[in-house]
Amino acid sequence: MGNAALRDIAVIEEVPFDDLAGATVAVDAHNWLYRYLTTTVKWTASETYTTPDGTEVANLVGIVQGLPKFFEHDVTPVMVFDGGPSDLKSDEIESRREQRETYEEQLEVAREEGDEVAIAQLESRTQRLTPTIQETSRELLELLDVPVVEAPAEGEAQAAHIARRGDADYVGSEDYDALLFGAPLTLRQLTSKGNPECMDLEATLEKHDLTLEQLIDAAILIGTDFNEGVPGIGPKTAISAITEHGDLWSVLEARGEHVEYADRVRDLFRNPNVTDDYEFETTLDPDLSAARSYVVDEWGVAADEVARGFERIEESVTQTGLDRWT
Amino acid sequence: MFKAIVSAETLSSALDSVSVLVDECKIHLEEEGLAIRAVDPANVGMVDLSLDAAAFESYEADGGLIGVDLSRLEDIAGMAESGQLIQLELDEETRKLQIQIDGLEYTLALIDPDSIRQEPDIPDLDLPAEVVLEGKDVNRSVKAADMVSDHIALGVDDAEEYFYVDAEGDTDDVHLELTEADLISLQVGPAHSLFSLDYLKDMNKAIPSDTEVTLELGEEFPIKMHFGFAEGQGQVTYMLAPRIQSD
Repeated sequence: MGNAALRDIAVIEEVPFDDLAGATVAVDAHNWLYRYLTTTVKWTASETYTTPDGTEVANLVGIVQGLPKFFEHDVTPVMVFDGGPSDLKSDEIESRREQRETYEEQLEVAREEGDEVAIAQLESRTQRLTPTIQETSRELLELLDVPVVEAPAEGEAQAAHIARRGDADYVGSEDYDALLFGAPLTLRQLTSKGNPECMDLEATLEKHDLTLEQLIDAAILIGTDFNEGVPGIGPKTAISAITEHGDLWSVLEARGEHVEYADRVRDLFRNPNVTDDYEFETTLDPDLSAARSYVVDEWGVAADEVARGFERIEESVTQTGLDRWT
Repeated sequence: MFKAIVSAETLSSALDSVSVLVDECKIHLEEEGLAIRAVDPANVGMVDLSLDAAAFESYEADGGLIGVDLSRLEDIAGMAESGQLIQLELDEETRKLQIQIDGLEYTLALIDPDSIRQEPDIPDLDLPAEVVLEGKDVNRSVKAADMVSDHIALGVDDAEEYFYVDAEGDTDDVHLELTEADLISLQVGPAHSLFSLDYLKDMNKAIPSDTEVTLELGEEFPIKMHFGFAEGQGQVTYMLAPRIQSD
């Protein structure tokens, strides 16, 4: 999701996790969860993440494994969930759905043939945020006292909006599009091994001597989640073309090209559907025994699978830091 | 400029008391001796160490700063036999530390001090209770508590005037009371805090059993532990942040 070609344009630096202590991060929740869903499903046996009646709740395992890193580093996550999809994105969602149906057919075949590798690969691809996943994720986050914000449309746009208003220090997303939504600082690889990397909007604009509007135009030329790019235009060409001609229309005119719905895509990044109507506390007081019982007793996730994650959260909320006294 | 000769025991004691918390540290080479201050990555345990020039056989320094990989330096110091002397000299040109032990020369590459985690500010603590006891009492308290739990409560009963240690496990408990008669000294005040044994165990390793340890305690406050080494010419202060009491 998002266009990885933007990486070549963006100014990105690794930040030591220790430097983030005390920060609030508005996390694109679907983007964050999706990774856990695909990896959990890929590497663990299906019994650990399905209820006895076969409902998939890999999200619960993912949340318990992913959150400790925030707690341990004294970083407050604010989970921003997608609202309804933008009209434009529905095409992509539609095509993803078709794609998934194909995968599901292939999965049937792989199961019949007993091809373990193919099954693992296909199972991870057929993951989706089911209504159960949507609901149980929110309930578990609530028990853990992790703030949740409901975006009117794109979670990423709302997360960027929260950061722009100064209510969060960073946006957390793997998606380079966060830059286009105007997220000042975006942390990638937040809950992976090692340090996260920080994508800096202002430094990016400065480096290429562009305005945010021009960066959006360049991205549209390359291609975004919402449009196909112009064939033959990569990051370098896009930047130099925008620099030369000033904006998207002039570039398209000069090259005799056309981008479907370009004005709507542009508007979507410039004026995304976001809301000021949100509220959250950044002091977290998780109810760990309720959260444990929710995951293990209520949803039947193997206790071993989540024991370590809960322990790590417990340890980090009971142990104070010396900085509290300096 | 830095040039010093020191006994292997003294150097090892100093390094060991820091390496229980961090892998790398900055060493200040002051005219009057060495100074190290470091905090662990989680900001829970801190060490403040000084080793006076008098603790060395000979010592010359003029206020430089070096960064070292502690396990490296500990390994080298461990090459010396008991009673042997270790000679240290900083090569300003190459920024390397020349170490000599009975003819064995070891050139140690130093770490850029700027790349080492910033030295912490020392917390400003006004702790009401002070307990002075022998290192071996700290040792047996920590050891027994570790058998039953992963945390330990340390406190002072200011009505009954005794220092106590409590550890509650799922099935077994440990309790120890030491009155003024059992202690070297006791200054009573309201004190009760819970600490992680992971940290205390490591700090305990660095405390010699025959030394006097001063504990400063408060109500849900960090603990300060002071003790001397190298015949009192080295001083260590540990600070450890408490755990929040749950129940």
